[in-house]
Amino acid sequence: MIIDVKNLTKKYKELTAINDLSFNVKEGEILGLLGPNGSGKSTTINCILSLLKYNKGSIKIFGKEIKPDSYDIKAKIGVVFQDVAVFEELTVYENIDYFCGLYIKDKNTKKKYVEDAIELVGLGEFKKFRPKQLSGGLLRRLNIACGIAHKPKLIFLDEPTVAVDPQSRNNILDGIKKLRDNGATIVYTTHYMEEVEILCDRIIILDKGKILAEGTSDELKKKAKIEERITVEINNLEEKYIKEIKKKENVDDVKYDANILFVTYKKGKNNLLELMDYLKSENINFNKIYSERPTLNDVFLELTGKELRD
Amino acid sequence: MAVFKTFLKIVNRNKFIIILYTVILITFAGFNMQTNDTSTSFVASKPDILIINKDENTGITNNLIKYIQNNSNIIDIEQSEEAINDALFYRDVNYIIYIPENYRQDFMNDLNPKIEIKSTGDYQASLAEMMLSRYIKVANTYKKDLNNEEDLIKRINETLEKEAKIEVTSKLDSDSLSRATFYYNFLNYSIIAGLVYIICLILSSFREEKIRKRTIISSMNYKKFNRQLLISNGILAIILWIFYVILSFILIGDIMFTKHGLILIANSFAFSICSLTIAFLIGNLINNKNAINGIINVIGLGSSFLCGAFVPVEWLPDSILKIAHILPSYWYIQSNEIIKTIEVVNIETLKPIFINISVIILFSVGYIILTNIITKNKRKIA
Repeated sequence: MIIDVKNLTKKYKELTAINDLSFNVKEGEILGLLGPNGSGKSTTINCILSLLKYNKGSIKIFGKEIKPDSYDIKAKIGVVFQDVAVFEELTVYENIDYFCGLYIKDKNTKKKYVEDAIELVGLGEFKKFRPKQLSGGLLRRLNIACGIAHKPKLIFLDEPTVAVDPQSRNNILDGIKKLRDNGATIVYTTHYMEEVEILCDRIIILDKGKILAEGTSDELKKKAKIEERITVEINNLEEKYIKEIKKKENVDDVKYDANILFVTYKKGKNNLLELMDYLKSENINFNKIYSERPTLNDVFLELTGKELRD
Repeated sequence: MAVFKTFLKIVNRNKFIIILYTVILITFAGFNMQTNDTSTSFVASKPDILIINKDENTGITNNLIKYIQNNSNIIDIEQSEEAINDALFYRDVNYIIYIPENYRQDFMNDLNPKIEIKSTGDYQASLAEMMLSRYIKVANTYKKDLNNEEDLIKRINETLEKEAKIEVTSKLDSDSLSRATFYYNFLNYSIIAGLVYIICLILSSFREEKIRKRTIISSMNYKKFNRQLLISNGILAIILWIFYVILSFILIGDIMFTKHGLILIANSFAFSICSLTIAFLIGNLINNKNAINGIINVIGLGSSFLCGAFVPVEWLPDSILKIAHILPSYWYIQSNEIIKTIEVVNIETLKPIFINISVIILFSVGYIILTNIITKNKRKIA
């Protein structure tokens, strides 16, 4: 076990930020901490890194309790914070070199590690650029390179893709996969459910400092009461048809808003075909129609009654 | 070494500002050092005098007028009371001498005639008064023995023509020392502004919350990190001080090789260390890089003006100087001013300088304690 958190509780005066949290992280896996803003993801990471004192519980990393002076443990950890933390006065290369230098003393090893990190995040062309000259996406990549250049065994990535363009996001996600392939254990926090679905081996859904659900993406989706959602573009659908669709077998709910019809199904096969047949039989013209499996957002909605991005 | 190397890189990126402060120092110091210091050369000063003579312009009266004429600027204005009062008010004339009717006759007859005067009361008027009373005293003295007017005038003139020779016996090269003092006084601004700017800029980068967090979670011992940062700042302060000292040797020259020069250098070293502690304190207090310029203006310019770095200390009002006591710059500049006047360098004459340097060191210790208290509070984790 790389991380073992037991009964962790963190309070800010009256506010309980983390409430009796217990989980563990196995070697080589990517664990996703998913939750809306203020759910306690960053607070959990800060407690694990001993940047915050906690009121109750225990945290072990690599089998040892971590303290502010546990430099042997810290040497194996890399952190990429949500906010970009780099020196404005230094170039891309110099920034990575500095942060890598806080861990690695040997000059040649450090040089190689810095080059590797630059290659991993794809900043080779921007080595001599200052942070101010980089776009938001490139800056995020630099932030990641600074956090992982020393090749840590355990990496915390705290919302590394916030406000990043799609190209940089893909680059970052590819880089994270490469880190995992190289043997790193990763704790990844985000409120983008698509990212955890792509990346994470295991997901913990947090809200108000509590674990709501834990498991693989498929395991979690099974917790949703719906199995399929069909979306149809129809102009001016009459109320009587909506009522008719609601009465159909396996239908959980029907909503019609802004000429879009949403039909959710508890279970069943061929729901899409059956709905299309019904619309044709009633001579209802429709433009686009598509079917989706439940998302983690549906799971979150199911568990909390609110959307992940609320 | 990682911290020191990065420190140097950041300094390098800010070399422009160091050059700027150095250029300001050279320009101002150089400009001022071009002007001659007149503290050891003497030029006779002549008051503006108006003589209203109601007597005949002969004999002893004529001699008095000639004596006054030779030693002052005689002003010719309309002799109405209104015009005279206006001239006094506007300082067109410093002193007015009213020679009464029959003055010559009454004087020769020992009737002790009274000369009336009007004065602006300033030092030029005092000079005129001294001149007049000197003449009358000399004349009265010789009148007791001499009744012949011609002999009397001759003796008066012989006495009054004797001028005192003033010889400055000091072996001090006052001109050079004044220039050196001016340079080192001005250094107050350059050192404070330069160090506070650079150190605040660097510390605000290293201590920025996000970067600080990254440093804390790294495997580098935070105490070691702080020590490296402190040593880097110290080295920077010393390099800057050495640079300014070398500059003083270039600009001022030989006087810097004397004992006086060495004391000025020692004093500036103590002050540089104190400035370093000030910079460290401010660097730990501020989080906003944009605030640095404002702080430099307040601290650098403020202390320089209040403590007499830009203007001579003697020009500053007592109330300002009293306030200035709470600033290390005051003690630094006071020492420079004392060094300028020391004739013989020995333990006794250096005593006030030692006291001032001790005060500067005490200030430094105070700032270090304050910085420790602040950083300790900031280091505390929630």
